[in-house]
Amino acid sequence: MKIIYTDALIVGGGLAGLRSAIAAREKGLDTIVLSMVPVKRSHSAAAQGGMQASLANTVMGEGDNEDVHFADTVKGSDWGCDQKVARMFVTTAPKAIRELAAWGVPWSRIGKGDHTVVINGKKETITEKDESYGLINARDFGGTKKWRTCYTSDATGHTMLYAVANEALRRDVEIHDKKEAISVIHDSGVCHGVIVRDLINGELSAYVARGTMIATGGYGRIYKQSTNAIICKGIGTAIALETGIVELGNMEAVQFHPTPIVPSGILLTEGCRGDGGVLRDKDGYRFMPDYEPEKKELASRDVVSRRMIEHIRKGKGVKSPYGDHLWLDISILGREHIEKNLRDVQDIAISFNGIDPADEGEKGWMPVLPMQHYSMGGIRVKPTGESTTMRGLFCAGEAACWDLHGFNRLGGNSVSEAVVSGMIVGEYFTQYCEETHLNTNTSVIEAHLQAQIDYLAEILERDGGLNIFDIKDEMRTIMQEKVGIFRNGDDLLDAVHQLEDLLKKTKEITVESKSMGNNPGLNEVYRVTKMLKLALCVAKGALQRTESRGAHYREDYPKRDDMHWLKRTITTWPDTADTLPTVHYEEIDILEMEMPPAFRGYGSKDSLIPNPLSAQREEEIEQIKKSLETVNRFTVQEALLDFALPGNLKHKNERVGVGYA
Amino acid sequence: MPENENYREIEITVFRYNPQDKTSKPEYQTYTLTETPGMTLYIALIQIWSKMDHDLSFDFVCRAGICGSCSMVVNGKPRLACKTRTSEFEDGKITLLPLPVFKHIKDLSVDTGNWMNEMSKNLESWIHTQEETDLSRIEKPVDPAVAEEVFELDRCIECGICLASCSTKVMREDFVGAVGLNRVARFQLDPHDQRTDEDFYELVGDENGVFGCMSLMGCEDHCPKNLPLQTKIAYMRRKMVKVK
Amino acid sequence: MLNREYVTELLTGKDTTKHKSRMPARIDFLQSVSGLLLALFILFHLVFEGSILLGKEAMYRLTKMFEGEPFIEGGEPLIISVLAFIIFALFILHAGIALRKFPSSYREYRRYIEHKALLNHNDTNLWYIQITTGFIMFFLGSIHLYMMMTQPENIGPYASSDRIYSDWMWPMYLVLLISVVLHAGIGVYRLIIKWGWFDGKDPRGNRQRSRKIAKVLVGLYLLLGLASLGTYMKIGYEHQNDYGKRYVEQKK
Ligand SMILES: Cc1cc2nc3c(=O)[nH]c(=O)nc-3n(C[C@H](O)[C@H](O)[C@H](O)COP(=O)(O)OP(=O)(O)OC[C@H]3O[C@@H](n4cnc5c(N)ncnc54)[C@H](O)[C@@H]3O)c2cc1C
Ligand code: HEM
Ligand code: HEM
Ligand code: SF4
Ligand code: F3S
Ligand code: FES
Repeated sequence: MKIIYTDALIVGGGLAGLRSAIAAREKGLDTIVLSMVPVKRSHSAAAQGGMQASLANTVMGEGDNEDVHFADTVKGSDWGCDQKVARMFVTTAPKAIRELAAWGVPWSRIGKGDHTVVINGKKETITEKDESYGLINARDFGGTKKWRTCYTSDATGHTMLYAVANEALRRDVEIHDKKEAISVIHDSGVCHGVIVRDLINGELSAYVARGTMIATGGYGRIYKQSTNAIICKGIGTAIALETGIVELGNMEAVQFHPTPIVPSGILLTEGCRGDGGVLRDKDGYRFMPDYEPEKKELASRDVVSRRMIEHIRKGKGVKSPYGDHLWLDISILGREHIEKNLRDVQDIAISFNGIDPADEGEKGWMPVLPMQHYSMGGIRVKPTGESTTMRGLFCAGEAACWDLHGFNRLGGNSVSEAVVSGMIVGEYFTQYCEETHLNTNTSVIEAHLQAQIDYLAEILERDGGLNIFDIKDEMRTIMQEKVGIFRNGDDLLDAVHQLEDLLKKTKEITVESKSMGNNPGLNEVYRVTKMLKLALCVAKGALQRTESRGAHYREDYPKRDDMHWLKRTITTWPDTADTLPTVHYEEIDILEMEMPPAFRGYGSKDSLIPNPLSAQREEEIEQIKKSLETVNRFTVQEALLDFALPGNLKHKNERVGVGYA
Repeated sequence: MPENENYREIEITVFRYNPQDKTSKPEYQTYTLTETPGMTLYIALIQIWSKMDHDLSFDFVCRAGICGSCSMVVNGKPRLACKTRTSEFEDGKITLLPLPVFKHIKDLSVDTGNWMNEMSKNLESWIHTQEETDLSRIEKPVDPAVAEEVFELDRCIECGICLASCSTKVMREDFVGAVGLNRVARFQLDPHDQRTDEDFYELVGDENGVFGCMSLMGCEDHCPKNLPLQTKIAYMRRKMVKVK
Repeated sequence: MLNREYVTELLTGKDTTKHKSRMPARIDFLQSVSGLLLALFILFHLVFEGSILLGKEAMYRLTKMFEGEPFIEGGEPLIISVLAFIIFALFILHAGIALRKFPSSYREYRRYIEHKALLNHNDTNLWYIQITTGFIMFFLGSIHLYMMMTQPENIGPYASSDRIYSDWMWPMYLVLLISVVLHAGIGVYRLIIKWGWFDGKDPRGNRQRSRKIAKVLVGLYLLLGLASLGTYMKIGYEHQNDYGKRYVEQKK
């Protein structure tokens, strides 16, 4: 039996995992990062648009600070987020981006004086301050008050990931790639590591550590159409669920992005619209201003996605062999702008669709349709990043429900979250690893390892004749059609039943190759089984939540219901023999909020069932503010909501023109 | 599946071999499938894998030409499979081989990750500076044009195609290749990095580095990111020759 | 005595006390300089050889000029010997340095050949021509230069033609001509890329342009060389019965 010991074990080598690994190495811990693929190929590399941090360098970001970023994030989450976490996040984000700059991320910088931008479909000239010259630039992104999204052309995630990965290499973080964690080793409520399958030779081994972190990203691939990389199957989340102890939070909160290209599902960045691109229907008509007169194309993602589907349902979609779609038009930005700032978008459109988006008029329009994009849900953790129910198991990045995003994530907040949580959670995780001593006997580890060996052997013995690929396709279609952008009780109930059926059917499959070695057919069986469990968590959570909040939209319950549903959905899988998850709820306390629930600003005001506690808290806040005799925003903030951050992270952030104010 | 009879059949021939398995012998296997509009090699291979042969190994991650996982040799040319449309091949015959020069894993899958990590480490591909960064302070300003120039080189996705297209690399295992030389040029240009040309010389001033390149230009002509490898290798060579 | 630095290097594989040798840089530079000088030399050489196209008299005068006639009465062939020796030194230097680029084992050679065949990439193919022609020239060029060093007096409209035709040197010259023109042409094209001379604003376009110009030059020089060689052969043929007789100047 192969057992590998280390101090800190991190499963997942995306931005969150690698940044956490750096935190651990800084304290001298032996650190191993496991990844299914070479770490620089992690899905973080795909983030195009940018990273949010309230630097306020550009004139269009003037006046921005932690408070504005906080408000945008809370509003964006439809008040579903943990405001304490949001505060931790917005305070650290500027530091994160400055650290990345020092590590060499070639952020786009502010030029001298005047330059032309496209705002709301029209060319406008903006003039930058002299003292901002050479500082990090920002662009406009959906759902934000200020231009706050920092970027490197449209390869933001790529440049970030490479900088962080190289820094990890520099600190001798041990990277083991082509390794897949398939089960969590735990004993009396404490996590000791994971069982790992070597994807080159199929070998199983145990990785044992003082502390374990899961940073395995999202689970978008349970949907048929997704912008996610094909490895985003949520295996990390699923193995936590399978412990029977770990809780998953808000699994039904799934974000759909308005503009993936049809049919491949490759994302065209929000930057397209941020820079001034517009949506058009089959008549070439720009329809978003009709629905959202104020924010238009730059309304929050969930809103734009729903409006698009709504418009298609009115018969305004463009017919194609792949179903109806709409057009994204960026040709109005001009060839020069596209070739400089949206080159990857152009590259995608040309390579995959044969369309050059810089071509004027209809010829350059790109076919787009909303598709699954981001998983707000994940392993439920405390603000320190530790699982609410299992000691020694931490989680960060998209895999976690830390809960920064609530029911809808703002564009640009997730690569930011990945790095920021790597700094914060990474630090708490490191502390845990330093303080904890490995306290387990090998028999526990061996038992876990043996269980997985037996499990795989058992899969190879199955002989029901079904094909796992068919089961997977069916699952993904069900999720797409019944647990998608618009949801309703009947479909969701159907979906839950069908998915449960599929889960049972996985016992009746046959794998052709019986090899325990490199066997991609076998991989698919245990992966699809895990994905089905996550799909069930999503569907069941969605079925039970009889309201509409953020990205979760129930046609039969179109209102946000703060009276009954201001709570987090918690799913667990107590018994391996279960075929359905167990769901319960965690209250979100309005009286502890810095920003009590209010109207989010989309649709009509009566689309909300308010909670009287909101008004009560609002009043309380007024009282507190009055009693303070100061308007200093830091003092006020502190009085409203207390939060802690490790190390220097709570320091104030300097900004051009205003210093530390 | 084809509702339209006009869709043609294509033949995809794949190199099959599992070096881990003592009984496996290198062989070529041909699959015939119906081409659908806009089909890429990603779509085709997934179809082969899920419908015809569950045991076929290959690597895709982003399927969008941004992660560098899916490099393989397509009718002789190293390229990103996910970005290759089958309609490009008029006779409908496509032969796929794993990337040469890397450790072969199975079928079309090779180990690029470890090679690239080693390369990054050997070339110390990170910022070297004596300056302490105070994360609360305003960041150091950088000329926008310089930032852009660095970004241009930072776009490398470590796909390994330049190495697979380089005969020098094929002959000399220890050659760092265009990917490495480009990486060094990237840090040489970065204003955050305080290393001098003497320091860079220690990294690439030999036959495994810039002086090993014979200007064969396979890298330049195949790089899927169109990085300016030709000019940047020349740039590094000029810099390195001038080092006293 | 124990030399600590050397032993450290022996044991650790790296020399911590000194910086990396500058030799590779020098050598790489020398290769280019020697190649360029040789190429320039050939550029003129073939033109001078082509003087035969303008008639025996022109060629004769040129030869005499090289022998330094304006200053030395009747000319001094030793000058040619010295010149040939200098070129020979350069030639050997260049070849010696270039040797390090040759495949160093049969395995490397096979790997290159297979890879080249698989890739079928233009510049990679060109390199094959370059090493093959270099290899050929190593022998033929040495023979030629040896002759020029040892018998500098045997240059002239008739002497050269006799050598080429009656002494059966033309096959060698033919091969040498083709080799040297291709090698120099490709070599200079490679030099341009290697040092980024004409990158300009559009390095990709300019590379294609350089390649085209190199091709045209190679073609022109081949034509010129073949024409000259033909002329020497024609003269040699007509002159075969007077083999050995030297050309006499037409008028003073
Ligand atoms: C197309 C696209 C564009 C985006 N653009 C933006 C943007 O502009 N701005 C923004 O803020 N966000 C964006 N996002 C979201 C953002 O990219 C991700 O949320 C973020 O990068 C997640 O980082 P992560 O570190 O949590 O996970 P990932 O980067 O997904 O990394 C997951 C890691 O876990 C490993 N792994 C997974 N399972 C296992 C296992 N079982 N065993 C071992 N290892 C495993 C993987 O190999 C990988 O290394 C975008 C997302 C998509 C899909
Ligand atoms: C200083 C050195 C050299 C001298 C003096 C010299 C002289 C000559 C002369 C006199 C001829 C005419 C034929 C003859 O008389 O045999 C000739 C032909 C030729 N030389 Fe040289 N040569 C020199 C160096 C070289 C070198 C280095 C090369 C290439 C490697 C070269 C390639 C040729 C070729 C290809 C021809 C045939 C020309 C044709 O076909 O027109 N020579 N050379
Ligand atoms: C013994 C004879 C010769 C041999 C073996 C030889 C070999 C080579 C080789 C192998 C290269 C390629 C080096 C590389 O790819 O980095 C080269 C380059 C070159 N050769 Fe030669 N060569 C010879 C003679 C000549 C002659 C006679 C000329 C001039 C006409 C010449 C001009 C060049 C040039 C210009 C280059 C390019 C230099 C560079 O890349 O730095 N060579 N030679
Ligand atoms: S330089 Fe180009 S070809 Fe080479 S690894 Fe980078 S992206 Fe790939
Ligand atoms: S192909 Fe190889 S030889 Fe140099 S120019 Fe590119 S690295
Ligand atoms: S799969 Fe990512 S580049 Fe092809």
